[in-house]
Amino acid sequence: MRRYIIRRILLAIPLLLAISFVCFMFINLIPSNPAEVALRVQQMPVITDAAIAEMEEMLGLNKPFLVRYFDWVIGCLQGDFGISYVNPARTVAGEILRSLPATLELAGASFVIVLVLSIPIGFLCAVYKDGWFDRIMRGTVFVSTAMPPYWVGLLLMWGIGVKLGWLPTNGSGSWRHLILPAFTVALSYISTYIRLIRNNMLENMKQDYVLYANVRGLPQKAIWVKHVLKNSMHTCIVAMGMSIPQLISGTIVVENVFSWPGLGTLCISSIFNRDYPVIQTYVLLIGVLFVVFNLLFDILQTVSDPRLRKED
Amino acid sequence: MKKKIIAIILGCITAFGVLSGCGQGVETSSTSSENTNNELVFVNYRDIRDLNPHLYAGEMYAQSMLYDTLVSITDDGYEGCLAESWTISEDGRIYTFKIREGVTFSDGAVCDANAILANFNAIIENKERHTWLEMMNLLVGVSAPDENTFVIELSEPYYPMLTELGCIRPFAMISPNCMINGSTKDGVNGYIGTGPYVLTDFVTDEYAVFERNENYWGELPAIEKITVKVIPDNQTRIMALESGEIDLIFGKNMLDADAISQYVDSEKFSVSLSEPTSTRHIVLNTTNDILSDTTVRQALQYATNRQAISDGIFYGLEEPADTLYAKTVPYCDVELTPYEYNADTAAQMLDEAGWTMGSDGIRQKDGKKLELELLYNSDSVTEKTIAEYLQSEYLKLGISINIHGEEEQSYRDSMKAGNFDMVFNICWGMPYDPQSSLAAMRAPVYGDYAAQLGLADKAEIDAAITEILTTTDETERQELYSFVLTRLHEDAVYIPLTYECNKALYTSDLQGVHFGTDQYDVPFADMYFQ
Repeated sequence: MRRYIIRRILLAIPLLLAISFVCFMFINLIPSNPAEVALRVQQMPVITDAAIAEMEEMLGLNKPFLVRYFDWVIGCLQGDFGISYVNPARTVAGEILRSLPATLELAGASFVIVLVLSIPIGFLCAVYKDGWFDRIMRGTVFVSTAMPPYWVGLLLMWGIGVKLGWLPTNGSGSWRHLILPAFTVALSYISTYIRLIRNNMLENMKQDYVLYANVRGLPQKAIWVKHVLKNSMHTCIVAMGMSIPQLISGTIVVENVFSWPGLGTLCISSIFNRDYPVIQTYVLLIGVLFVVFNLLFDILQTVSDPRLRKED
Repeated sequence: MKKKIIAIILGCITAFGVLSGCGQGVETSSTSSENTNNELVFVNYRDIRDLNPHLYAGEMYAQSMLYDTLVSITDDGYEGCLAESWTISEDGRIYTFKIREGVTFSDGAVCDANAILANFNAIIENKERHTWLEMMNLLVGVSAPDENTFVIELSEPYYPMLTELGCIRPFAMISPNCMINGSTKDGVNGYIGTGPYVLTDFVTDEYAVFERNENYWGELPAIEKITVKVIPDNQTRIMALESGEIDLIFGKNMLDADAISQYVDSEKFSVSLSEPTSTRHIVLNTTNDILSDTTVRQALQYATNRQAISDGIFYGLEEPADTLYAKTVPYCDVELTPYEYNADTAAQMLDEAGWTMGSDGIRQKDGKKLELELLYNSDSVTEKTIAEYLQSEYLKLGISINIHGEEEQSYRDSMKAGNFDMVFNICWGMPYDPQSSLAAMRAPVYGDYAAQLGLADKAEIDAAITEILTTTDETERQELYSFVLTRLHEDAVYIPLTYECNKALYTSDLQGVHFGTDQYDVPFADMYFQ
């Protein structure tokens, strides 16, 4: 078991290096001169050769590609991701740290909404399979999965924010600001998990242990909650764990629509402003999150499921 | 069991109702509903960023609120700002400014000639960044003989000198206390100016709060507090205005024609459009084999239906453009015969130029098809729409246009390198037009230089532009402008499309909304609530 964990961790290291190299390479493959881009995003009306040369030296762009890559990787390991082109007074690390709490807040709230709504609805859909509730929820799930978050967000903003005036349409600062964006982010995940929980429960209901429990005369409610739901949640918990980095990266569009000052808004504004160091760091961060959570939940699953341990 | 399910659903609905409907009204830091007639909530698509006035990263409207320049550019010409008055030596090289007395920065520091000298020294230290302004290349030195006198010496006369000094950056004055060892090149430690407002609070990418500078040397503005909210999305900005969370949307790129057209007849909201600020046009590359022929370029001018573009794409909000610069631009009220849309004339001219209609509907000459590529910025939906329209219109005349979009940086690189047949562009706008944009045509910084290289009179045009900048005789300057603009018009290098204008959409309670001489300036100081 220990060997397995160490092996997985060691395997993650080249993967992380590969991600960092790809991030760095793609940004550097862009044919434009980053120094000129930096001057342009700083709104220099006319970009002279002298200004480009000065900026190249300032950003260290006159060094060879590999030297710059290793400088960047070493910097990253020390928490130095460079400076923002848009605002040279700010560091990329500072920008990420400033935006991260808002994204974690939004992703956390969305995660809670996903749990609170998908588990009971999925449970009821399985228990009353093919009943009117299940049919309505299946239809709702189908529709909500097909709706793009951008559109859902605008619709909620228009209905609840503008027409009813119940909640603010944008910004952050209070729990009222959080509701619409969190619900928008959560919506597609709710649909996914309702289906997952429902299907897992239906699978479990066919298992022998349910038959034996019924034969033993256990109350139906206890069988559903204590046995079927509990066993169905194993796969769901792993899937939900894996969806944490998805939630963090998935807030990108919704944050922009609701002017939520998180990583997504930072990323979109950096893309529009060609703030390459920030984009590069954002992609690296999301890549690292996926690798880490993948590793973490793989290990957790191995620890919790004896069958996987045996196979190993 | 059904009852239980119904109970659960009702429970969920009630819980959501409790969550979302605890109270009516929106809880924001300052909204128009809470307005006490002296607070304005403005919106911008991005953060105010670094407001160091000697660099270019910050939002200009915010810098204008905080800082002042030596002179102001107004509709009536130049007016004294931090300089009460000025004199220009007979040879046009030495400018002597009398500095306004009693002006202090909002941190209490005195804004005298010495403070202005400190600012100029900081600007000159970073001279390479500012050489796009011709005056920086001509600058011999600056001095402050006494605390009320500031002198700028140039190597030769330069007529747009006061216009450039009136630009908020880099010539706005920051408190010397904010400089780091007398320098602003590598940043400042505060944003303190002498302007009508002071920055009291800001949260990056969320909002910035400006409060009235009670020690402002000029007339105090009516609005005491301005909150600038950051809302990147177009639709969200409109919804925030509808819900009363913001009062004013202002700027060229903050509203599209579609959104504006919805509010033209609204009672709750008002719409304002400025005079033309810049011209949307297509640049023709005269070094291209086909476009090197003036007749072909002129035929394209006649083949372009500007009125249809104005009506169909801009809902009439951008007027059709006849010339490269609108007649309202200084020195540009020149008699030029517009190329009125006439498909027959265009076809006749192409025939005369030897481009005859081929069997496939595309004109040909010596076995070569009349095919051109039109480059546009793929970030601009407007440019793409115009390109598609022109593609279909030109095809009716036997001109094949391949439209090609590139992302902004790549588009600019292609333009600068001259890698285009036809390309979309927009003039620099006020106050840089016409002097600075014409000056830039002489060097390969934008597409204009590359596009004009095939002109037989390119050298003559460039020489005239250089003379425009240095002549001290007003009549001669106007004659030179007329010459340059006439040549460019007759050479048909530019296909003017529409005159872009500044737009504002705001709650009808807000009064005094107008447009300044600088297209990026938002004149908050003149606004008030009814």
